[in-house]
Amino acid sequence: MTQPDEPAGFSLSRRAFVARTGLGAAGLLLGGPGLLESCAPASSHAHIQGSLRGASAAVGHLLRRPGGLPAPSRTERTDMLIVGGGVAGLAAKRWLQRHGRADVLLVELEDAVGGNAAHGRSEVSAYPWGAHYLPVPDVRNRELLDFLQEAGVITGYAADGLPIYNEYHLCHDPEERLLLHGHWQSGLVPELGVPTEDKAQISRFFALVDELRTARGADGLDAFALPLDRSSADPRWRALDAESFAAYLDREGFTSAYLRWFLDYGCRDDYGATAAQVSAWAGLHYFACRKGRAHNAAHSDVLTWPEGNGFLVEQLRRQAPAGIHAGTLAYGLRETAAGVEVLCYDVATRQTTRVEARQVLLATPWLVTQRLLGAVADAPVLSPAPHHAPWLVANLTVDGLPQGPGQPLSWDNVPYGGAGVGYIDANHQDLALRPGPRVITYYWPLTHADPTTARREAYQTSYAEWLPRVLAELEQAHPGVTPRVQRADLWLWGHGMVAPTPGYVWGGRREAARRPLRNKLFFAHTDLSGISLFEEAFYQGIRAATDMLLPA
Amino acid sequence: MGSPPVLPPPARRARPDHLPALLLGSVFVIATCGLIYELIAGTLASYLLGDSVTQFSTIIGAYLFSMGIGSWLSRFLDAPLLKWFIRLEILVGLVGGLSAPLLFVLFEYVTSFRLILYTLVGLTGILVGLEIPLLMRILENRFEFKELVSRVFTFDYIGALLASLIFPLVLVPQLGLIRTSLFFGALNVAVAGLLLFRFRETRPYRRSFTAVVAAALLVLGVGFVFAERVQVYTETLAFQDQVIYSKSTVYQRIVLTKNQRELRLFLNGNLQFSSADEYRYHEALVHPAMQALPRARRVLVLGGGDGLAVRELLKYPQLQQIRLVDLDEGMTRLFQHNEQLLGLNQRSLLNPKVQVINGDAYRWVRQDTTRYDLLVVDFPDPSNYSIGKLYSAAFYRDLDHLLAPGGLLVVQSTSPYVARQSFWCISHTLQAAGFHTIPYHLYVPSFGEWGYVLAGRNGHWRGDAGPLPRGLRYVTAQSIRQMLVFPPDMAEVPTDINQLNNQALVRYFEEDWGPYTH
Repeated sequence: MTQPDEPAGFSLSRRAFVARTGLGAAGLLLGGPGLLESCAPASSHAHIQGSLRGASAAVGHLLRRPGGLPAPSRTERTDMLIVGGGVAGLAAKRWLQRHGRADVLLVELEDAVGGNAAHGRSEVSAYPWGAHYLPVPDVRNRELLDFLQEAGVITGYAADGLPIYNEYHLCHDPEERLLLHGHWQSGLVPELGVPTEDKAQISRFFALVDELRTARGADGLDAFALPLDRSSADPRWRALDAESFAAYLDREGFTSAYLRWFLDYGCRDDYGATAAQVSAWAGLHYFACRKGRAHNAAHSDVLTWPEGNGFLVEQLRRQAPAGIHAGTLAYGLRETAAGVEVLCYDVATRQTTRVEARQVLLATPWLVTQRLLGAVADAPVLSPAPHHAPWLVANLTVDGLPQGPGQPLSWDNVPYGGAGVGYIDANHQDLALRPGPRVITYYWPLTHADPTTARREAYQTSYAEWLPRVLAELEQAHPGVTPRVQRADLWLWGHGMVAPTPGYVWGGRREAARRPLRNKLFFAHTDLSGISLFEEAFYQGIRAATDMLLPA
Repeated sequence: MGSPPVLPPPARRARPDHLPALLLGSVFVIATCGLIYELIAGTLASYLLGDSVTQFSTIIGAYLFSMGIGSWLSRFLDAPLLKWFIRLEILVGLVGGLSAPLLFVLFEYVTSFRLILYTLVGLTGILVGLEIPLLMRILENRFEFKELVSRVFTFDYIGALLASLIFPLVLVPQLGLIRTSLFFGALNVAVAGLLLFRFRETRPYRRSFTAVVAAALLVLGVGFVFAERVQVYTETLAFQDQVIYSKSTVYQRIVLTKNQRELRLFLNGNLQFSSADEYRYHEALVHPAMQALPRARRVLVLGGGDGLAVRELLKYPQLQQIRLVDLDEGMTRLFQHNEQLLGLNQRSLLNPKVQVINGDAYRWVRQDTTRYDLLVVDFPDPSNYSIGKLYSAAFYRDLDHLLAPGGLLVVQSTSPYVARQSFWCISHTLQAAGFHTIPYHLYVPSFGEWGYVLAGRNGHWRGDAGPLPRGLRYVTAQSIRQMLVFPPDMAEVPTDINQLNNQALVRYFEEDWGPYTH
């Protein structure tokens, strides 16, 4: 995720923007008593330090008006240029390096590579700003397993041929808990006090996905595979992509409120969209694609790190570290006889470099890709535009969490029926006994309205307005926690992740949009998958890099 | 001898006849206070040092003797006697009142606790000894001599009776020692304040003395309010015996209790040892492994901040270095400074061969590059997920990297009788980490049946390899053989391996101990 699209007039820095909305709020405050209420509790969290951050919208918006940027002061030639340092771009770079291509540059708009897997660090802990875990992968995903072995996540293979995972990277127990009826139960599937009829539906659903996990199509391929491209083309399965998950569930008699909450939670957590917004194929894929095997882990186990997938990003970066330029905006892309020319504006030095490359890989969100391709003939189209919900992620430093009855603090902690999708304990994998403060990462997909509306609202919400909302959510799970919150750093993702809306994955659009153009321009991003998972991004990068390596 | 006290002519508003009564009332109060200080010192001494007959006897003797010194010293005090008396009351209030909190606080820090104790007892005794002679001289012109003696001593002994009754029946159960001490200190100071306001002759110094009285009351009052910090009195109700020390560190709550027979250490309410039988636990922890390692040079002890396992290790002169890593500086400091505890661990943590490191064991193990002949793993029971990590296969694999060739490790492994699954889970987890294991157990009266797992890269350990140090009270070649036998009610049961991603042990532990704790 890089450059969010916003109304062209929006060119204020975030700070100025926040100041302005703050003034607006003050104006309202004088006018109406309604806001006095929301202001009163502010004193109870006056002790909380923090800030609201987001993708570099201000710099990103320069892309809309590139005329204001300085003319190139120098020219650099490279064989290959990768625009976008998210997982797809980094995976492509690593792949090219492994195939002997050293003459590769990568430019990234943000200050650090990582995209959706960005992370932060304080004196207390490292913590994720986005993606934070990787399920134990399918053993047929050789490329991914090789990478994990190089990264030390896989320590070797057992006699049975199954990978042995580094125990420090496998999520420690206790893994998940759900706050249901005032009690923290183990696991996220509602159980405690759930009526028999609902339980029966829940068992039926899990029996179904167990079956789907091993189901195959007429072509012998898995019905639900990860990467998606390895899934069966059998229409029996692909037909599920045409309808919404919610409609499918209604039809199949999965009507239990507890089950539906859980499935909605899963869709919001992975796709930033509700069960009504994603396709049935994608809704089922969420469960049925988990077929990882390991010598020392189960298919449901996950790998995680304090900095989340920032760990994997760093490993990808380290495996091909040369030629990465962060804080650099790519614009003015132009096809030439020999290849492609891209202007790269370095935000720190305020200088523009003309980069001439034989091949260019756009590993950027589709919004950015589209804009960069503005002057290119036969540019692919992806219509309608991908669905991206905004997300709020809050990293809270707490010196304790008042614990209700039930399972103690776990890795993933979800209140039933919450507005967000719960929080992760960033310090869960710590080996040292740990008194004192820790960091929890709270995730909130803003799915209450359509993405454009929710995004506009979100951009107009200041830190002072977000904070009480986040605390109110946390208070529901942990009454009395507010005085124990020391810091609250917020990150607003304008475009969180692509959602696999009906028809997106198998409707043919994404496949057309990712075809290389004249062996000069290549495309890799999870926007071209329809689901935003590390495995997909990694695969997209390798797929595009493989295309780049093909003889012309 | 000094001149007789010059009492002022009766003032119009004051009722002069009441002034001697006031002074006699003071006799009553100061007598009560005096005896209370004596009882506090005696009780504290028997709590903190044990052996109550000796302690009480010597404390009373020292106290009475100091009172004698005080009485003798009274001859050197001359007019103005009332001013001296008021000064004295303030001083008695402060010294007597603060004696109990001071002794509790210093218990941790002072090597020579006895010296401090008797100094305080002596000082209080001297000050209290000055009181009655001074008062009698103040009153000598007010009463006939026989009247004076009769009244003063009547009040004195009535006060003593009152003190001796309310001390055990009301004060200790309701207020605890520290607050009792502070409360009676405040009474002494209050007597000073009362006299200051009732006697006209105090006018010249009334203002400055009032400030002193107020400051003294403030000190004692603040102490009274914060007494909980020094000793959570309610806590003493949770323990069978008298709590002689308690402190919350960042990591845990340390409590020491004492009765006539034994000293007990509790961490977060769980018994760690009783001085009566800890030798069984620590001999069994150390010697079966050490007797098999006659050439051992270096040992790493994880946990065990009480220094008792180190005490056993120091019985092997061939050891050159013993490194102890304990999380809690509060623990190791206590066992490096307190006289009684130094007696128990035989100053083991102060031995030049011993290096004490306060740090997290897991973190330490992952960064240490030394090779050790023996690793002594003496963590608290796996009662929560954080501690459960210190019993995981991953942790044991990391420990393997620290073992010298032929080295051994021994793990305290909870009770094989009460927590049978937990015990065998630890053994199986060590096996999964690549070790041969030798489980063994013994009976520790304060714990019940207790178990350990000895582990090494090869299975060459023998229970009678010897030699054992002289003077062991439990471990012999024969008792080691007995310890290896598991009767059917503790025999091996199949269990899962404790992995970080299943924390099987914590779940077993909850199951096993649940019926005993809920």
